[in-house]
Amino acid sequence: MSMVRIGVRNLWRSKLRLVLVAALIGTPFFLLLVMESIGDAVQRQTDVLKESVNNTLQLRSRGSMGHVNMVGNEDILPQDALAKVKGVDHVAKAEPYLLAMTPTEGHNFAMVVGVDPDDTRRLESHGEAGNPKIIAGRDLTAADRGKRVAIIGQVLARWAGLKPQDIGQATLTLDLKRTHPVIFALDRPPVTLTIVGIYASGYVFGDMQLFMPLDTFREVYGVREGISWLYVRADSAEHLPAVEKELRTALGNVADIISPTTVAEFQTTATRAVQHLASSGIALAAALMVIVIFFVMLLVVRERAWEIGTFKALGASDAGIAMSFLTEAILLCAIGAMAGVVLFLFWGGPLAHLVFGLGIAPFLPAQYTTLAGTLALTPRFGPATLGILVAACLFAALAGSAWSIWQIIRLSPMEAIRHE
Amino acid sequence: MNDAHSPLRGRLIVLREARKIYQRGDQVVVALDGINLEVPERGMVALAGASGSGKSSLLHIVGAMDRPTSGEVTVAGQRLDTLPESALTAFRRDTVGFVFQSFNLIPNLSALENVMLPMEFAGTAAPERRRRATDLLTQVGLATRLTHRPRELSGGEQQRVAIARALANNPPLILADEPTGNLDSKTGQMIYELLKEIAKERTVIVVTHAEPLAQLADRIVHIKDGRLSPEAQPGASADNSSKQQRSTTHG
Repeated sequence: MSMVRIGVRNLWRSKLRLVLVAALIGTPFFLLLVMESIGDAVQRQTDVLKESVNNTLQLRSRGSMGHVNMVGNEDILPQDALAKVKGVDHVAKAEPYLLAMTPTEGHNFAMVVGVDPDDTRRLESHGEAGNPKIIAGRDLTAADRGKRVAIIGQVLARWAGLKPQDIGQATLTLDLKRTHPVIFALDRPPVTLTIVGIYASGYVFGDMQLFMPLDTFREVYGVREGISWLYVRADSAEHLPAVEKELRTALGNVADIISPTTVAEFQTTATRAVQHLASSGIALAAALMVIVIFFVMLLVVRERAWEIGTFKALGASDAGIAMSFLTEAILLCAIGAMAGVVLFLFWGGPLAHLVFGLGIAPFLPAQYTTLAGTLALTPRFGPATLGILVAACLFAALAGSAWSIWQIIRLSPMEAIRHE
Repeated sequence: MNDAHSPLRGRLIVLREARKIYQRGDQVVVALDGINLEVPERGMVALAGASGSGKSSLLHIVGAMDRPTSGEVTVAGQRLDTLPESALTAFRRDTVGFVFQSFNLIPNLSALENVMLPMEFAGTAAPERRRRATDLLTQVGLATRLTHRPRELSGGEQQRVAIARALANNPPLILADEPTGNLDSKTGQMIYELLKEIAKERTVIVVTHAEPLAQLADRIVHIKDGRLSPEAQPGASADNSSKQQRSTTHG
């Protein structure tokens, strides 16, 4: 009968007490799981946002808006802006664009975009609609750099009389001398491009665009230097404000920066606030566990002082006796944890909503108080949660029984027997 | 006969000027006041005296449950007053068997498991522990009560389990603190006879208030106010042969 086994058997000495203690310890475990699920839900929400909304800043020449910062206009970013941007911390990618326009009919026009084939095809002014999808032919590739090839939107293709089956042989000629009230006519010869793909974006204006390789664009329009727009992607939404700040410092008055502040604000306000509150809740739950274990073990040691004395009189080592009590404390925590898990699986979701609504929402900025309704606050029990529970069990058992174990060690066998 | 000046050879216990002083708040309590005592390797010694006379303090010091404030305490060749705590633990495990007034059986262990405990602490292999514990319980007449918990046993049976447990590691010294204090006189008599039997092969020291039972011992040591009593306390009820073997200690 090892002292560990004695510790295990001591657990069952009073079943009523075991139930009471399991309930007392299970409650903070339940609270811990609920807080952890809230923190996890918010983290998942943030991760989804990070993936689905952009972390991208758009840089334009200072004072230029709309379509005027295009070829034929002096208001474009200097070429060295690209190198400066790439030198800023937390910049994951910098994508330079060159823009032009070409008249179609009446007062309509199509956008002409020079873009590196490896970069994202953003639809001017409507980036939120998503990237264009190739419906015929192919997309631009790195091998197209410098070649007179392009992909065009399906509406522009229809206007130009291009059919999907013609892709690969079809061409489109840009007449650079043609003008329009907002388009700068250029004194350059017409250029014929081979159309290698047609894309669809889901809306008409987005489908009135043409993408060609950036190098090709520079050659066609005679723009050796300069950038119309520069898209800068931060490595996370969290770093977006810092990147924006550093870009302003690096570029000075050269550029205007358009930042998706909503995402950054969500990241820095709601997410952090919720996660801090959830962490505080977890810490509070852990503290409650420690307090419960502390008092339970103190009671147990006082109650069994004569047994401790007897063990010592019989030649048990302090370490062995301490091990039996520590085993009991760990098992009490484990049973409490199991009770907490059962409660959590049954009532974790509704209670998480309640805790969020009553305990966390009041501490959030007003615009985020309805956040709970959008969060998937459902009980989840994965390896990470199991790891947290095991760690919490060990922590609560060790911290909660430390004082009692110290009392056991310093108790002389004779003093213990006097408690008889 | 004065044990304080007997030769060391053949003695299990030797105390020289052993003192034990407790501090209770502002009050200083002298529990043992310069005890000189020698106890041989076999036989039963009764420690008799009034409540608070120091007999339990003496028992605790001899059993390494407590340390003397000053003086020398040598038991089975080991100076207990100088041993470190870990060595005292080993000493209690290997050299002493305790029998308590309230039996002190672990309530959620069976009689067999209670007897196996000291052997577990000594590192005895499990099959050997079980075999020896069964033998010991059989010797004390509890062969049919091996799996019973203490609450399922009578007082006398519990004390017999405690005696079997005290014998588990085959120690040379058994210390019994009022072993019949919670038993009726008939059962008490039976326990004393059991201890007396055990004392044929080792030293048994019994603390007792009960003078008739003390008279069964080979020797009675009287303590008064922390000192060995100078007065002889011959047992009036003991038979003649016992009287001839018995000696009393004078302080």
